[in-house]
Amino acid sequence: MSQTENVLEIRDLVKDFPAVRAVNHVSFDIKRNTIHCLVGENGAGKSTLIKILTGATPRSSGKIVLNGREFTPHSPKEAKQKGISTLFQELNVVDQLTVAENLTLGMEDTRFGFLRRTDKIAAMVDVMNSLEPSIHPKMLVSSLSVARKQIVEIAKAVASESDIIIMDEPTAAISEGEIARLFKIVKALREKNVTVIYISHRLDEIFELGDFVTVMRDGRHIDTKPVSEIRDRSELIHMMIGKTVFEQYTPKQEACKDPILRVRNLSNHKLHDISFDVHEGEIVGFYGLVGAGKTELARAIYGADAHEGEITFKDRRLPASPDKAIEAGIALVPEERRSQGLFTILTIRGNVPVMNMKKISRGGFVNASQERAVTQQYIDKLRIATSSTEKEASKLSGGNQQKVVFSKCLFADADLLMLDEPTRGIDVGAKSEIYGIVRRLSEEGKSIMIFSSELHEIMNICDTIYLLFDGHLKSSLRNGCDIDNEKILHIVTGGEVTGGDLTGAETT
Amino acid sequence: MNNARQERVLSPFERSSAMRANVKKLYIYVVLVLIVMVFSVVKLGQVEMFGRGHFLSPDSIINLLRAAVPILTLSGAFTLLMISGYIDLSVGSAMSLSAVVFALMILNGFPFFLALPVTLVLGIACGFVNGFLVMRLRITPVIATLVTLNLFKGIALLIVPDGMSAIKGSALKRMPAWINDYARQEVLLGLPWAFYVAVAVIVVLVVVQRRTILGKYAAAIGGNRTAAELSGINSLKWIVLLYIIVGLFAALAGVARASYMSLGDPLSGDGMELDCIIAVLLGGTAFSGGEGWVSKTVVGAIIIMCVTTGLMTVIPSFWQIFAKGSVLIAAVALNHLLVREKAPA
Amino acid sequence: MSADVPSARKTFAAGMSNESFLTVFMIGVLVVLFAVACLFVPNFYLLQNIINLFANYWFVIILGIGVTFLLITGNFDMSVGGVVAMTGVLAVYFCQGYNVSQNALANGLGLPYGAAVALALVGALGIGAINAFFIARLRVPSIIVTLGTMMIARGIAQVVTRGAQRNTSLPDVFGVVGNTFIPGTSIKVAVLIMIVLVAAAFLVEKKTVAGRRTYLIGANAVAARLSGVKVGRHLALLYMVSALLAGITGILLASEFKAGLSGRATGYEFDALVIALLGGVSIAGGFGSVLGMFVGAIILAVVTSSATGLLLSPDWQFTLKGIVTFLAILAQRFALDKRKG
Repeated sequence: MSQTENVLEIRDLVKDFPAVRAVNHVSFDIKRNTIHCLVGENGAGKSTLIKILTGATPRSSGKIVLNGREFTPHSPKEAKQKGISTLFQELNVVDQLTVAENLTLGMEDTRFGFLRRTDKIAAMVDVMNSLEPSIHPKMLVSSLSVARKQIVEIAKAVASESDIIIMDEPTAAISEGEIARLFKIVKALREKNVTVIYISHRLDEIFELGDFVTVMRDGRHIDTKPVSEIRDRSELIHMMIGKTVFEQYTPKQEACKDPILRVRNLSNHKLHDISFDVHEGEIVGFYGLVGAGKTELARAIYGADAHEGEITFKDRRLPASPDKAIEAGIALVPEERRSQGLFTILTIRGNVPVMNMKKISRGGFVNASQERAVTQQYIDKLRIATSSTEKEASKLSGGNQQKVVFSKCLFADADLLMLDEPTRGIDVGAKSEIYGIVRRLSEEGKSIMIFSSELHEIMNICDTIYLLFDGHLKSSLRNGCDIDNEKILHIVTGGEVTGGDLTGAETT
Repeated sequence: MNNARQERVLSPFERSSAMRANVKKLYIYVVLVLIVMVFSVVKLGQVEMFGRGHFLSPDSIINLLRAAVPILTLSGAFTLLMISGYIDLSVGSAMSLSAVVFALMILNGFPFFLALPVTLVLGIACGFVNGFLVMRLRITPVIATLVTLNLFKGIALLIVPDGMSAIKGSALKRMPAWINDYARQEVLLGLPWAFYVAVAVIVVLVVVQRRTILGKYAAAIGGNRTAAELSGINSLKWIVLLYIIVGLFAALAGVARASYMSLGDPLSGDGMELDCIIAVLLGGTAFSGGEGWVSKTVVGAIIIMCVTTGLMTVIPSFWQIFAKGSVLIAAVALNHLLVREKAPA
Repeated sequence: MSADVPSARKTFAAGMSNESFLTVFMIGVLVVLFAVACLFVPNFYLLQNIINLFANYWFVIILGIGVTFLLITGNFDMSVGGVVAMTGVLAVYFCQGYNVSQNALANGLGLPYGAAVALALVGALGIGAINAFFIARLRVPSIIVTLGTMMIARGIAQVVTRGAQRNTSLPDVFGVVGNTFIPGTSIKVAVLIMIVLVAAAFLVEKKTVAGRRTYLIGANAVAARLSGVKVGRHLALLYMVSALLAGITGILLASEFKAGLSGRATGYEFDALVIALLGGVSIAGGFGSVLGMFVGAIILAVVTSSATGLLLSPDWQFTLKGIVTFLAILAQRFALDKRKG
């Protein structure tokens, strides 16, 4: 059976969301049996493109040709059946079954319901042996490390004769030794008639692994080239950044005050020995790409996750639970607003006062008129688009929902606000409103920590910027006029930190 | 490269979870042995070892196994359902309803080999109703099966004509004597047909769990439903099938109970679901599904029967419920210590 | 900036919350059922009968309070029936005369009435504490734990009464609270207590911080924790309160009959759950009201007393409860889906 040279052809693909065009007339080809890397900053459109390919979201217009035939998957299951498998961060293996059982899941040979070990089955199980002989088919998946579970997923995709395996930041959760083994396996996939689409922000991996690379920026396709034709990292970074102009950052007039938060040697399953200070009235940004450890850092400080190390807030040891953190004066706007920040089936009024009930109640009884007044206050202050306090939170737009979560945290009267991806999925107008709120808060003397994977955002409002990669605090700099963005991207994609080119202050 | 060597050394986490796995495999047998020992020595002052009246006397063992027939018949299927992450609280009522219908047919002159299949079909229907409510109407399993618990029990109470139920007891005189044969007549080693049928059922279900696609898919759906569905498994189909199987064996258990008691008692199955839950918990099945073994549940069922019958010889019957409740809570605690639940999202 | 489309007309129906909508819907169902019952059941419309609808169900309604709050958080409490029996039996036992008779069941600990009642309630709280420990602390599924504690509680009742009951050598004061009537009527004081408790529960639900927290936990337990709610502690509190309410019910019932029965309140936990479900409380969490539960109780009362009035045997109640619950779940889902449009 002759196969087309290009396993996948993307023609003029467009994806529109209510507020933004996430994929803007993207066209490129992916050659069969290659490792094709996909890079771009956060917001470049990579994830949306992948969601379209895997059937998780429909495209707005354009064409996708898989193996010479038009491809319109309506669900991830359908995409998988048609030959596109995906490896996500959340592993899709069944822990309670063995490796062999996982490999054959959904494709068993049976006779009257009994599982039979036919040649077909043996061949599937043998895929594992050819990829990684140290994993025996009879091992229980629950006994395997994360890295090995990943290999099982890869083997399963190969065993089910997928044409394409998409790997989304696969090295985020595994160790260096395991990465080397993973690369060996990924390279071997080419001989098994599998094409790999590899997404990673760790640019060194692109150079080590990739045959081709596609760069996206702001929803557009920038270029697709063989990796061999790219000179070095900076060329790649240059393609990723382009000539974007950042909003002007207005430096603070006054000198910084005393530190309000001191973090020393913070470590946990993801973070490695992080130390830094946050001063009163300062807006501190934590910039890093996927898997850098931003959310883990925020949650550790907030007490939502366990950790080692010392955290002092207002000169007192910070106890490890969210309710105590709130009492001490810290509030967190979580990363996922629908599942972690908002009570979607409750009204706006049911959401806003939640973190500081003391203020609107007396003796355990809620003062209803105060509750309403406070809610209305925040609706006005943050310009939440609603005609009443009684609107169900699920009915608000993303931007307004985020404003509700903001209101919730502002009402907590915290001295330190931690914002995790505060403007993700929000339209431009709401974004600038939120930035305005943040600036105002800082002027009022509050301290703010912003965790974000959007460089624009960080550069826009932060006074001090810390760069995270792989759970490490790599570098820090003071925001100003002549910041070298390429250098920043170089560090957060795993590059080496060299001398003081960042116009920076302390490096940890 | 050092990497291969690095991986061979087990981390402390891996070492302790290996130890846990071993304890998990064996503890239930230890518990069984302990309980048997306890009941064996308790009356040694009054009776001889293995003699008449002793816990391990032939009479007593036969009694225990005979009484254990319903739970042995039912708990295997119940385990498979729990492995898939679903629960059925209506098994007791389905069992009673089956007992009533079966006895009614016998009373009206049906032969055994006609009454039995009809009853089993009824069980399948009950199971299908549960499956439909849970999967198609998407009602939470607990609430759906509480609804059917009431429904089946109600139907059983309503179709029992005067003189049939245990409360209205004149049926004994009119029921043909051979109804006892299934559950009481000594066939081999003093044990009746019903017992050997139950043993066969267990063997079949153990094989189903380990070697058939139903067993594998139950574990897949319970273990990681997203992964299972992505692999093309139609969970609706398989879960409904599991509910049907539970209904089928609940009916078989009902037949055994009716045969044993010589009548159809609409309340005879009350509490069976609790016994099943205890057996399943003792056997190490996780609440969230994915893990569980029919073979271990059977040991759990034996343990429960030992506790209930053993206690009957030692303490007055009014301690029964307290004892069962304590065993359940103890099983919950044990299960918690030994089963690592899937981490919440 | 994108604006939300405001509701086209501020009608009464559109302005209220989903919860109030369902409560009103179920009241509508109640009215319809009542009308149908009046048509088919002789004498259904008599005042005495209407009063009985409330008065004969007071105990299930009190239990329903605890069950409703817990259901809103997404948890079950199936132990309440057992706790009712246990508390009643213990109160009798503690109060019975010390060493007054040959019959063991007529002898108790001889404590003064107040102490006996207090200790019995402590016992109820003990059951609540067990529930709290396993469910709030160890995160074991509530259905299983509370079935276990239900058996333990009932088991204690059975042991103390040797499977029967205790009803002798009680001080006169024991029977007072359960047998006092509201002056001029044949309504027991217990009914009044029920109304007071429901009103108090409604107040807590709508107007207190604790009430708000219950809904937060039910709506999104993860967000609740991140918003500073002490989820474990709150759930523990709810289980203790539920047990206490069951204990109070037990005392009242024991007082009414001047006896502690081991078999009392069998099945009441299911009834309490049924009336909560009938009232629109959803297991999905964060949704529902004790007021709805109260309406649900009346609906159930209408259904079961219609059955009695139509001379159906009491065996019908199980089937009826099953069918009615099922229909209610479907009807509520349908109504809400229609509303969301």
